[in-house]
Amino acid sequence: MAGINIYHLYPEHLNLYGDRGNILALCRRAEWYGLPYTLVHVRPGEKIDFARCDLLFMGGGQDYEQRLVAGDLKRHRSELLAAIEQGMVILAVCGSYQLLGRYYTTGKGDSIPGLDILDLYTKSGHKRMIGNIVTQSRLWEPPRTLAGFENHAGRTYLGPSVKPLGKVVHGFGNNGEDKSEGAVYNNVIGTYLHGALLPKNPWLADHLLRKAVSYRRQQFLFKPLDDKIELNAHRSALRLTGSRRHKLRSSRV
Amino acid sequence: MEKDNRRSDLLSPKDSVNTGLNLKHLSGIWIGKLIMGASRLTGRGGTTLPGRAALRFSPGILAYLSRQLAQGSVLVTGTNGKTTTASLLTGILRQAGYQCLHNQSGSNMSWGVASALIGAGAWSGKLPGDIGIMEVDEGAFPAVVRELKPRGAVVTNIYRDQLDRFGEIDHVQKTILSGLDCLPPDSFQVLNADDPSLTDMRSDRPGRTWYYGLELELPPDLFRNTAQDIKSCPHCHDQLFYERIYFAHLGRYRCQKCNFRRPKPDVTLNKRFFTADGRTVIELRLQGKSLKLDYPLMGAYNLYNALAAATCATALGVPADLIGAALTKAAPSFGRMERFSMDGRTLIMALIKNPAGANEVLRTLIEKEGKIHLLVAINDKIADGTDISWLWDADFEQLKSIRERLAPVVVSGQRAWEMVLRLKYAGLDSAGITLEESPKQAILKALQLTPPGEILFIMPTYTAMFDLRRALNALGVAKPYWEGP
Repeated sequence: MAGINIYHLYPEHLNLYGDRGNILALCRRAEWYGLPYTLVHVRPGEKIDFARCDLLFMGGGQDYEQRLVAGDLKRHRSELLAAIEQGMVILAVCGSYQLLGRYYTTGKGDSIPGLDILDLYTKSGHKRMIGNIVTQSRLWEPPRTLAGFENHAGRTYLGPSVKPLGKVVHGFGNNGEDKSEGAVYNNVIGTYLHGALLPKNPWLADHLLRKAVSYRRQQFLFKPLDDKIELNAHRSALRLTGSRRHKLRSSRV
Repeated sequence: MEKDNRRSDLLSPKDSVNTGLNLKHLSGIWIGKLIMGASRLTGRGGTTLPGRAALRFSPGILAYLSRQLAQGSVLVTGTNGKTTTASLLTGILRQAGYQCLHNQSGSNMSWGVASALIGAGAWSGKLPGDIGIMEVDEGAFPAVVRELKPRGAVVTNIYRDQLDRFGEIDHVQKTILSGLDCLPPDSFQVLNADDPSLTDMRSDRPGRTWYYGLELELPPDLFRNTAQDIKSCPHCHDQLFYERIYFAHLGRYRCQKCNFRRPKPDVTLNKRFFTADGRTVIELRLQGKSLKLDYPLMGAYNLYNALAAATCATALGVPADLIGAALTKAAPSFGRMERFSMDGRTLIMALIKNPAGANEVLRTLIEKEGKIHLLVAINDKIADGTDISWLWDADFEQLKSIRERLAPVVVSGQRAWEMVLRLKYAGLDSAGITLEESPKQAILKALQLTPPGEILFIMPTYTAMFDLRRALNALGVAKPYWEGP
């Protein structure tokens, strides 16, 4: 078993919202499963080795850091696209999720081109959408819940060739209008959920690890882990998000 | 961001032009005082509601009250160190003979400032005291500046904190700058020279800027942690080069592309050493003098707080020897490594609210020798920050290095399960973690696990700290928080 290669894009720059927790969850769970892995930190200006990368994680950043990623990835867009068509796994959160789309329109009406990998676009909004969020995702059958925290001003609208990652149960989601949250295309997942997302939604972490293993054309038996604490953290997030206290609070945002 | 606007709506500047006795303000003060009396009867501090009600009734009340202070007021803002800096400064000014008004409970929204002034004032609306020292939340800073028209302002640092309220760090910086721009033309500002996000701020006011910074020759890894927020030059966005990093993004930096570099500080801290009997001695350079003194506050971040207070006192004209005398007598402020004792046990309360602050508390904790007992309490109310993702950016991994001498950790608060999960992914054995959501049960459990003669560290978020203090008060430990430490 050769294991998988996890690439973390800009660990020092794209780390706004507990993104480190997502990498921690992937690595720790791989360890607990006994799945060999290598974690590679990619820094600004460095190139992703697309021949080796199985799972790419891109976190949220502020405007400037976001532009850095955009510049670096644009130079290698065709390789990135080819890898995605082959089934390379990507998790992109918040700003990076927007970046994978076609374009972003600013408040002044300027349109900033994205990487044009996911069929979606984002418009800037006046009101930031902030608060705990719960969605129900059809990545699994029966659907499973995902719990996290969202904090974004951009409103994202999906085109026909991507599917939403989840349907909003509590919170705003992609745009606060159509109840969709995130986007899925092949093995690429974009989402506004941080908080950190993967530790308390371990099935999503496992989904990414499994997809990365099959992208590497390997066989690996995932023996169930003891996820009692993960489940409790997930349930307590669901409970709090559904509570009256939280609803009152989010209506005041 | 909408919330910030809402907050400043409470303080509209046009109401602040009236002078003299004003019935509306007087009624505002009475309303505030009545509510304060009522909330203290029920065991609450009355640091929020009285001010809120008074401001709602009489929006210009802050300006009205603060105008009575003969020596004006000084505001302290920034992400970390506000409470300790403001309390050190109050200590220094008291040493220098001033009568000070200070929002010591750390309630630092505009209504917290109003509550503090109303609490100190008489029913007649008269305010005793010469000078106000107010710590102010970064978001509330511009509005409070407009009302109080302070003589000076101190900005300690900008770290990642409560992004759910502020959006992004850039936004915090803009908010603080807009506050500095509103300072009266002749007032001074005191900035941390080691923080590039502060020294980048350009205000066009003529008032003087005072800088302070650390000039320690320490092994560079002593203060390092991973929670860095700023790594690129705020001017040209090139990688910022650090000759020395004290912690997070604070240090001696320069940009290799443009001319941006750390300004030369007016006040510096040049030495820190520990004596054989466990005292900490620091050496400050200020007012052309070198000042060596015993400094009782633990933790490296308290070096910056001493500097901030000493620099502001210098700007106010307090002589160096009085500054030194006051710093030597410093006591931990509210919830900042505050010590209590109970049945032979020592309790240390250390508020955590963002990765940089939490990392420094963890570092201080693991430096202690012997068995370590720990209680962590995480709430996600508005005053805590509703986004708890920062728990994943704080280095709880540090605890792994003391695993053998770490007693079972008690975890409490509304987000206790997330914290338990955090500790699991930090590498702690889940058998060594006990969950007690109720603050009272958590305190009892933690005390039961701590044998007499040993130390219990309590790391709560802001509102969790109030819950725990109430539980401690009920057990007969610690004074009610509105009376101060």
